[in-house]
Amino acid sequence: MKIASTQLSGEYEKVLRREQRSFMTGNEVVAWAALAAGADLMYGYPITPQNEIMHYWARLAPHFGRGFLQTEDELSAGFAMLGGALVGKKTFSATAGPGNILMQEPIAMAEMMQIPGVWIIQQRGGPSTATVIYSQQELRLTATGGNGEGLRIVYSTASHQELFEYTIKAFNTAWRYRFPTFVLGDGYQAKMREAVTLFRPENRGWELVPAEPILCPPGVPARDRDPVHLRNTFNLEEELYTRLMDQLAAYERIAPEVTEWEAEVPPGPEVLIIAHGIVARAARQAKESLNRQGRKVGYFRPVTVRPFPGQALREIVAASPNLRLLVAESAYGQLLAMVKAELYGFTNPVDSLLKPGVGITAEEIAAAVGRPEGGEAVS
Amino acid sequence: MTENQKPVLQEPPVNTKMPRSWRKETKPHRFCPGCGHGIALKALGEVVDELGILDRVLYGCDIGCSLLSWDFFNFDSIQTHHGRTIPVIVGAKRARPELIGIAYMGDGGGYAIGAQHLVNAAQRGEKITVILANNTLYAMTGGQMAPTTLPGQKTGTTPYGREVAKTGLPMLGPELVAAIAPEGSYVARATVGEYQQLKKYLQKALLNQMTGGGFSFVEVLSTCPTNWRTNAKQTWAFLQGEMPRYFKVGEFRSAEVPSGEGEK
Amino acid sequence: MPRVLEAYVGEYASGKSENAINRALRLVREGRRVRLADLDLVEPAYTLRPLKRTLEAQGLEVLAWETKELIGPGEAAITLKKEIVSTLAFPGDVIIDVGYGVEGRRLLNLIKGAFPPANGEEALRLIMVVNAARPLTSSLPLILAYLDEFGPVDGLINNTHLGEETTVELIQEGAVLVTAAARRVGCPVVATTAWRPYARQLGPVDRMGNPVWPIERFMSGAFW
Repeated sequence: MKIASTQLSGEYEKVLRREQRSFMTGNEVVAWAALAAGADLMYGYPITPQNEIMHYWARLAPHFGRGFLQTEDELSAGFAMLGGALVGKKTFSATAGPGNILMQEPIAMAEMMQIPGVWIIQQRGGPSTATVIYSQQELRLTATGGNGEGLRIVYSTASHQELFEYTIKAFNTAWRYRFPTFVLGDGYQAKMREAVTLFRPENRGWELVPAEPILCPPGVPARDRDPVHLRNTFNLEEELYTRLMDQLAAYERIAPEVTEWEAEVPPGPEVLIIAHGIVARAARQAKESLNRQGRKVGYFRPVTVRPFPGQALREIVAASPNLRLLVAESAYGQLLAMVKAELYGFTNPVDSLLKPGVGITAEEIAAAVGRPEGGEAVS
Repeated sequence: MTENQKPVLQEPPVNTKMPRSWRKETKPHRFCPGCGHGIALKALGEVVDELGILDRVLYGCDIGCSLLSWDFFNFDSIQTHHGRTIPVIVGAKRARPELIGIAYMGDGGGYAIGAQHLVNAAQRGEKITVILANNTLYAMTGGQMAPTTLPGQKTGTTPYGREVAKTGLPMLGPELVAAIAPEGSYVARATVGEYQQLKKYLQKALLNQMTGGGFSFVEVLSTCPTNWRTNAKQTWAFLQGEMPRYFKVGEFRSAEVPSGEGEK
Repeated sequence: MPRVLEAYVGEYASGKSENAINRALRLVREGRRVRLADLDLVEPAYTLRPLKRTLEAQGLEVLAWETKELIGPGEAAITLKKEIVSTLAFPGDVIIDVGYGVEGRRLLNLIKGAFPPANGEEALRLIMVVNAARPLTSSLPLILAYLDEFGPVDGLINNTHLGEETTVELIQEGAVLVTAAARRVGCPVVATTAWRPYARQLGPVDRMGNPVWPIERFMSGAFW
């Protein structure tokens, strides 16, 4: 009755290819997505609620010829990722909370040196150890953490199907543009179970961006090619300034290509609900139920929270002078601050439903929309 | 240390030819006069030449003075963060096992801020070569106490001398690594004062990685006259006298001493 | 009347807790004294804990952590409630919810008297819950490989479903797979379990002749 390892490998490959609905947790979905995306290696350190990403990756990776190393901490995991990416392999990690804090150090180096990498962040309660369960409190840290300018791309997902597709997309984005790329999930998405369709991206015509070695490309250095010498230390302010301004310009250039959002706005909207990630799911439900009651409520969801789809948001707000905004998030104003920054100069009132570290239901959002006129102005 | 030993700078113990693996365009190098890094890196360059592995070496350097070697060689290199060179090289080596990964760092990077990486890479038997220069202090930041600062030694943060009661004894890196690294590891302590021995140890450390033996670690006793505030004679005296009295030079783990007995 | 001693095992997120709860409540409704014990080591506070009060109100004795008993569960410590160890000494039926994935039979070594059975008929039966819509148990070879790694079990439950997207046909296909696997390893299919509306459509037995047990959904009230 023993099933040969090779047969097992074939069965796993079929799971990935057969395009059937599967009942899965979000963490598992990420592991399969990384396989589908052609990730070569995961370097990781245990922290709840992302552990099953490692568990399933460690279980499946050998059947797909991929590697895994459990490191001594997130610093090591992050820097090992960079080492692997530098020599031409697709590497990734997954972390949360205090692990995300430690991970900021290698991410800062990736940002400075434009080393590709994919990080899955399953947000947990904060600050400190807090809870292992859920929050949206790692938005700011993930989008703009580190001692720099936040030259990252962050996809905030809202369903298992999105976790699968945006994880694959994140690898493409990271290796195409060479900015650190994130899939920002949360503990609910990590552990929640729902149906999802796995697929081989190639079978849907999705091109997978290949990984090229930055260090140790073919050829004998100093004979066939110049040796590659990389550094993140600069001697002079001007040297750093020039380098950074080039990188910032590159980031600004690609931002319109990578920015994604969802918007559903009825004509003559009175309220626009703004939420990201899993809260956006509740926001959408609230919007639909309010629409059924005849309320002219719209919904806006940044899919990339960095770069933020500010232009799209401004266009909606500019088209409806009396629009009231309602920002809902499981954090105390992190998304709200981003929204306000993007809407500087507008005078529309802004309400908020801020519940750091706890979930938000559609009913709560609908109730918040229903509140009488009010809220502070954007600026 | 006796008075009749000659200072290193008066009689270089090596031939004066530049190793082929050194990058001429970046010479003269940026280390201070009398700094031990140049000697350690010369030995490394000659060993790479002799082994003919230029096209397979991936060299990572740390923060601290070791970062000045970021463009030192004709092989590919990366300057990482303070203490993080080991995980970068581990990540690369795991990704491409055909490469020869060298992590070069100082005592602060290896024994303080990055100690967890040294300990765990050694314990896992990562097939990389770690070369750590021990000059008993943090040099680039202006001469603060390092894990390797000798008892009584004055530094920027031990202005009255290192007090063992308050800050402990100097870290014995090779002894630590030898105690935890699995079979097949190579562990040694060399000194820039014994050039041929230094070369021999570095060669063995690289060969051990190339033959798949396992983790290879060489601490190199090095000099920092700038922060020691020593002239050539005093520098030599400290390197050949004070330092080896505390830091035993020799092999701690090798094919000949697999169980971890020191050579001396 | 022999006691019912059952441990629900199987792949992560296969429906072990749901099945254990439903089995325990069914026994309660038969007028039996039943204890439901949570042996989820990794997510101890998040499976049965939020449901504890609800279940106790229905006459079930629940052995699971209470929020106030735990600080920082889930990662800071693998937490085994000490009463779990001697749970088989409980003078009634015992249903054990064995959490979290491919742990194998050895997890039950933590329970006193689990192997070998202390006294004849009162053997702890291991019931493996299989959802054929879970990737790692989605084909006959995969289920067999899973069973092979886990070790012998006393029965299989077909709990194939896709949450909101479940169809009767999907459950029937699961029944075919699970029955084939059970025949290959020589153990019975205890039942096909399905949420009540689907169970009604399936009728008293599934396509393979296995009994259909309707289940209520409790786990939507849990955290994860």
